[in-house]
Amino acid sequence: MEIRPILSALMRSKTGAILVAVQVALSLAILVNALHIVNVRQEVAARPSGVAAESEVFHLLARNLRPLGHNEELALQKRLAAAARAVPGVVSVAQVSQVPLSRSGSNSGFAASRKQENSSATAAVYITPDSLIKTWGLKLLEGRDFTPAEIVEIDQNVTEEFPPQVIVTRAMAEKIHPGGGSALGMPLFLGTGEGAQQLQVVGVVERLQSQGAEVGDKGEYSVLFPVRLTGDGDTLLTIRTEAGQRDRVMKEAEQAIRAATPDKLILRIRSLDDDRNTRYRADRALSWMLIAVSTLLLLVTASGIVGIASLWVTQRRKQIGVRRALGARRVDILRYFLTENFMITSVGVACGVLLALGLNQLLVSQLEMARLPPGYLLAGALVFWLLGVAAVYGPAWRAASISPATATRST
Amino acid sequence: MFQYYFLLGLRGLRRNPALTALMVLTLAIGVAASISTLTILHVMSGNPLPHKNDRMFVPLVDNSSLSGYTPGNESGDKQLSYRDAVNFQNSKIGERRSVMYGVGGAIEPARKDIGAFSSQGLAAYRDFFPMFETPFLYGQPWSAADDAAGTDVIVLSRKLAEKLYGDSNPVGQRMTLMGFQFQITGVLDKWDPVPRIHRIIGSGAFGSEDSYFIPFTSAIRHQTAHNGSMSCSGNREPGFQGTLDSECTWMQFWFEMASDGQRAELQNYLDSYAQEQRKLGRLKRAAPNRLFSIDEWLVHLRVVGNDNKLSAWLAFGFLALCLVNTIGLLLAKFSVRASEVGIRRALGASRSDIFRQFFIETTVIGLAGGVLGLLLSFGALALIGMQSKQLTVAAHMDWVMLAMTFVLSVAAAILAGLLPTWRACQVTPAIQLKSQ
Repeated sequence: MEIRPILSALMRSKTGAILVAVQVALSLAILVNALHIVNVRQEVAARPSGVAAESEVFHLLARNLRPLGHNEELALQKRLAAAARAVPGVVSVAQVSQVPLSRSGSNSGFAASRKQENSSATAAVYITPDSLIKTWGLKLLEGRDFTPAEIVEIDQNVTEEFPPQVIVTRAMAEKIHPGGGSALGMPLFLGTGEGAQQLQVVGVVERLQSQGAEVGDKGEYSVLFPVRLTGDGDTLLTIRTEAGQRDRVMKEAEQAIRAATPDKLILRIRSLDDDRNTRYRADRALSWMLIAVSTLLLLVTASGIVGIASLWVTQRRKQIGVRRALGARRVDILRYFLTENFMITSVGVACGVLLALGLNQLLVSQLEMARLPPGYLLAGALVFWLLGVAAVYGPAWRAASISPATATRST
Repeated sequence: MFQYYFLLGLRGLRRNPALTALMVLTLAIGVAASISTLTILHVMSGNPLPHKNDRMFVPLVDNSSLSGYTPGNESGDKQLSYRDAVNFQNSKIGERRSVMYGVGGAIEPARKDIGAFSSQGLAAYRDFFPMFETPFLYGQPWSAADDAAGTDVIVLSRKLAEKLYGDSNPVGQRMTLMGFQFQITGVLDKWDPVPRIHRIIGSGAFGSEDSYFIPFTSAIRHQTAHNGSMSCSGNREPGFQGTLDSECTWMQFWFEMASDGQRAELQNYLDSYAQEQRKLGRLKRAAPNRLFSIDEWLVHLRVVGNDNKLSAWLAFGFLALCLVNTIGLLLAKFSVRASEVGIRRALGASRSDIFRQFFIETTVIGLAGGVLGLLLSFGALALIGMQSKQLTVAAHMDWVMLAMTFVLSVAAAILAGLLPTWRACQVTPAIQLKSQ
């Protein structure tokens, strides 16, 4: 191969080559890191919440304007749930204290033993007098659902002592007792210290994200309590509809709830999809921005390569003509430019890989981003080699088309 | 002479329109990307009360239980318990002070055409208004006597006042909030400080504005539940009184000192307060008591998220790439004109003349890129603003940023043009002419 003459030609006019290599290195470093971040964010946003067929689920929050007594509120809650159940197209209704991904709700600390000073995990607390396993389609791995006899009616202004039966998620069970067989009957305490309340795990569900859906295992620490809670005047119903019926049912449920009580209510209705969109909006926005910048990066780099290559072709018209006249074929000229560009791109890619690793190190240490897997570097290198060849092909073809006669004749 | 070079520059740009367009576009995109992300960072990390930065402070004390505490391990709690907040309020420290917590009450309008709705508000002391320099459209804050007595009085936001009463002045009227009658003492004019330093906890630094303000004492008297986060480390008795007596933290507090430089005085008060409470069997952790100025508070609460910083870094990396690209393209452009330079040199133009000519040409490119970049960044900001409510508030161009756009783009272009311009000056007339 004709690497030596190309190299010596390059050493003669280094500036252009350096500029191209720097461009390739910069955009490779930015591109792989950007795409990696996009991928990480997409994976986070695609995590299942544990609720089956999310597009069939919505929630309805009814806030009563005047404070009611315990019994009045119980009656109202049951009336509202019954009204929602009667709407055609409703499959299942459950009352619950909070919903996953909604970014509003409460957490409590849980411990594996009373001797601990700090809680083992902070978990989302789902308080429900109905079956979330049924309404949300949670997958029961072990044990059973709550029985109707276990459901207790509690006024939160009088006591906060809950019944001991709970259902936990697998992630939660795993956190409390790592690697320890069946979670049923494992010791679990609400709170810490001597006053902590002992709980009894009756069931384990595969997954239920918390209201915050945090990144990592923490987002799946959830505990379900079989309680009908009164005291704040809010009734939150989560409703599963038949497939494709959600939007219609959402409208009709609102009217049915309003008709069910003469009390003045403030209603707020949201689908689980709405909650999911809001939860991951920032991640999506960042992803789109990164994708837009990456596209522009590739375009700018390609235009830079085309620009410099065209310059060289113009500068070397005469040499090309001489070479052609001395017997070089078109394909030789074409190969010359492609090889030259490939060499420059390779230098750029090599520097780019190092730069990408450095940039990633900076992102990890300063901005808490994830570490870059090597696959991205390889893919990035491939992309830029291909981009280089594609970008230089036009100018190289023009160079190859220079006829020996015109090139040697004039300037 | 300047005009001549300027015209020459323009002509030079026209000679190769595709290349010129590419350069201007590349510069414009790079500038637009950096300006739009920088604008968002600039707005997000801004301080709406810069003149009070060394006077206004948030106090924090660690009131968690002693169990599980290792010294140096801060609790990370950013709010206060009712007890500490009220004690601070009753202290006579500073020019102004106000405890505050978010409330979400149902409003039942007198107008029949609007149904009941719930709306977020803030329970605070009257000092809140002068401290945060809220503008009043009608009326005034409630009185200190109202604070002491817990009177049912209310200050409305302009938006809520217009929703309930149209354009008329509602001061003195009564309205139903949370089932109680509140008398309106004032209406705020449009007030959106960015970031909303007083409400970073609760409704967010870029969240929606509070619709109304009621005396803290009135909110407590009506046992108004808080609308926001609460963190409880110890046990808590059920009911509202149980929450007040507990060590749960759910309140925010701001001090305003009479003048700058009184931070040490406030810190002394805070330390002696903690000492006193320790004698009463509270604050057992003896963790450092902390004060935050406005700027420190913004950093402590991480108002500018990592994602925003990432965007800005990325944009500057991108700008760097665009600059390298422009250097390459300019080099290509100028080198083709070596013969022109040779002739001009032969006809008597000095190197500095050539330098000036090409310098002006790159400046023209920089100006064009700047103008286009400005237009693009308006577009980019509008796009970013559509992504979320939070970004809508932050995505505003101000004059500072506008000026920066220009300086940045022109400086960038000139910087990029230096190397190619210098190379153009190196043309030796004799060799260039001989090869013609």
